[in-house]
Amino acid sequence: MRQFWTTTAVALAIALTTPAFAQKTITVGMSAPDIGQVDPHKATTTQDKPMTSWAFNGLVRFKPGSGDLGGLEPDLAEKWVKSPDGLVWTFTLRKGVKFHRGFGELTAEDVVFSLTRAGDPKSSSFSADYASFAKVEAVDPLTVRITLKAPVPSLLGLVANYHGGNIVSKKAVEQMGDDFKLKAIGTGPFMVDEYKPKESITFVANKDYFRGAPKIDKVVYRFIQADAARDLAFQSGEIDVMYGRQDQKWVERVKTMPNVIVDVIRPAELQLLHFNLTQKPLDDIKVRRAIATAIDRKQFTNFIGEVIAQPGRSVVPAGYLGFDDTTSVLGSGDSVKAKQMLAEAGYPNGVTIKMVQTSLPSMLAVAQVVQAQLKKAGVDVQLDVVDHQTFHANIRKDLSQMVYYSAARFPVADVFLSQFFHSRAIVGTPTATTNFSHCAVADAEIDAARIEQDGAKQKALWASAQKKIIENICAIPLHEQLLAWARKSSVDYGYKLESAMHLGPTINETTTMK
Amino acid sequence: MIRYLATRLLYALPTLLAVLTLVFVLVRIVPGDPALVIMGDQATPEALRDLRERIGLHLPIWQQYLAFMGQVMSGDLGRSLITNRPILSDVAAVLPFTIELTVAALAIGIVGGVPLGVLAARRRDGLWDWIARIVSLTGLSFPAFVSGILMLLAFAIHFHWFPVISRGWPLTDPIERLRSLALPALNLGLIMIAYVTRVTRSGMLKALSEDYVRTARAKGVPARVVVWRHGFRNVLIPIVTVIGLYFGVLIGNSVLTEIVFNRPGLGKLIIGALEKRDYTMLQGLMVIYAFIIVIVNLVTDLAYGLVDPRVKTT
Repeated sequence: MRQFWTTTAVALAIALTTPAFAQKTITVGMSAPDIGQVDPHKATTTQDKPMTSWAFNGLVRFKPGSGDLGGLEPDLAEKWVKSPDGLVWTFTLRKGVKFHRGFGELTAEDVVFSLTRAGDPKSSSFSADYASFAKVEAVDPLTVRITLKAPVPSLLGLVANYHGGNIVSKKAVEQMGDDFKLKAIGTGPFMVDEYKPKESITFVANKDYFRGAPKIDKVVYRFIQADAARDLAFQSGEIDVMYGRQDQKWVERVKTMPNVIVDVIRPAELQLLHFNLTQKPLDDIKVRRAIATAIDRKQFTNFIGEVIAQPGRSVVPAGYLGFDDTTSVLGSGDSVKAKQMLAEAGYPNGVTIKMVQTSLPSMLAVAQVVQAQLKKAGVDVQLDVVDHQTFHANIRKDLSQMVYYSAARFPVADVFLSQFFHSRAIVGTPTATTNFSHCAVADAEIDAARIEQDGAKQKALWASAQKKIIENICAIPLHEQLLAWARKSSVDYGYKLESAMHLGPTINETTTMK
Repeated sequence: MIRYLATRLLYALPTLLAVLTLVFVLVRIVPGDPALVIMGDQATPEALRDLRERIGLHLPIWQQYLAFMGQVMSGDLGRSLITNRPILSDVAAVLPFTIELTVAALAIGIVGGVPLGVLAARRRDGLWDWIARIVSLTGLSFPAFVSGILMLLAFAIHFHWFPVISRGWPLTDPIERLRSLALPALNLGLIMIAYVTRVTRSGMLKALSEDYVRTARAKGVPARVVVWRHGFRNVLIPIVTVIGLYFGVLIGNSVLTEIVFNRPGLGKLIIGALEKRDYTMLQGLMVIYAFIIVIVNLVTDLAYGLVDPRVKTT
């Protein structure tokens, strides 16, 4: 019996003291049933992207915590030069950078392989971004030359640590084949360790990281889809960092918990209401103007909460290179005037608009506010509420007269304008992306801006494109929705988190935990 | 006996085929494009077309159907459209968790429900009867996700007795494993207690009012023997029936329980597959579910013979 008590006491003592020597682990709770992949060239979803910033580098990088395209700094490349016409870019790589798990030193070959892979639709979701690349070649083991067919708005953005710009190990991709998806090899501060389907993926510190060994030993990325379950796990201390709800009430409630910090961050998703210009009665600009007048934009920020929502000021999100808010946007919420405008347009009895809407609660609520606002002006919005994938399919078949879409893109006006307002992108066409309105009024400006080398002239072209789109009422901006992440105050990212290009906090060598 | 088993399994085949066909058609009727899910909304149309060809979605629907049926017949459920992992191995990885949970819930249901039902029937409208009614009403009317969150708030947040996130792998630490299993199993078990209590109570009420019970009592047989031997034995058949029948309900509710308690299992798998339009994974899961139900029905029928010698399984 005495022996029993002694062993128990020893066991207890070990159990109680172990945490002091334990590894430093940050557990991150993400809203998802599972991840798709760690492969940065295919990671498109909110749950996949944050991991890419832990495990990969680009030739240049966004400053941690910043989404400013103007503030890119050297990452795997030490320096670079561009030719006067902007078509040839030469990068000099940092020496002695090692890939994870003994996959060797980074060479120009890996960069050539990565950027070529990023431009191939078979291996990349972002191939369209690299369409203007003529060739990428290795001049010597530490020098890479990129030649373009035509100038692009931001070449550095395409080789930054974001989407296709992330550099992967050539040897690893070729050796692993399909396995690369979940065992991806990069050069970043953390490397993939163990993946448990539907449960978690663990990253361990890359002790050889070229900026120095991380102070955190392990990052566990846990998939906890149910909001309530994630909140409870955070409250009980089982997770240290968590993806938050885009909801002011949530932010306020979590902020009141002891030793918790909530970061409300960019990039914002711009919420646009697109009008289908090819369908009656929206083909009539008078009707569109009436509807836009009836929309009360201020209500959306009030409804969602000023902490997490900001007014939409243009058809491009604020802060993007080329963003311009000099054109005034309708949306005063004057339903009396709107009714009158409808009558003048020949609809004294109002109009009926069919709208396919996703059942995602946050988006549905916004659509219902739109519905209520328009009702006052005699516009009957009939919501066809369907699940999210059905919504995505049906709005691409022109089945919705108005489309409420929320998006964040690479922070340069060109991407947003090309995908949502260029005639090439009109849904239902062979080159379709997400032009739901069939807007085609600013093609010339968008195309010209893309190849313009003079920064000021380029900005003027983008401004003019935004003006035309706003004035033609292809879409009306409702508001911008920010992201919220919560963390224990013991977690210090090591930089000021204002914007997360990867939709979640970057955990790197500067991150610490008390 | 062997022949009986063989015939029963043979009868199950058409059921499975019908389920397969139904599932195949249903998942495709719902709009949505797995290619778009995989590639994201910035993908080019060529990339999407390319992907659809690679995963075989460009083939005419009847060709996809034949290919799928052929595969299933040879015991292969194919690979997930989204992750490209073999479905069987994905399922095999999480199936033990779901089985562990449902079996634990079933055990809780029987251990809690049977005595409660018997006690309730012995004194109709007595104290135990009221308790039984309240417990079964609670179990039946509380959705699993509501009772789950309430339990977490009470036992994980307030008292810190159990973890919020159920531990999955590794399974080496039995204490930790039990601690993880306790709340979800209780949550799901509550539903089972409700059903079992109800059927036990009504069965016992009927049995105890039979002539042979009155005779036994008149003979002076002790009350305990009357209740358990003369009464309860006759209620076993409906209890077994209800357990077999509601095993399906239990599996359905285990989906919700697994989500709330963040337990690995078929539930998370099926929700993920639905959201991503992972056709092949959904089909595979439905096959597994249908198969489980068929097996449970078979076991139920066999159990009849065990609890009641009058039932012959030949």
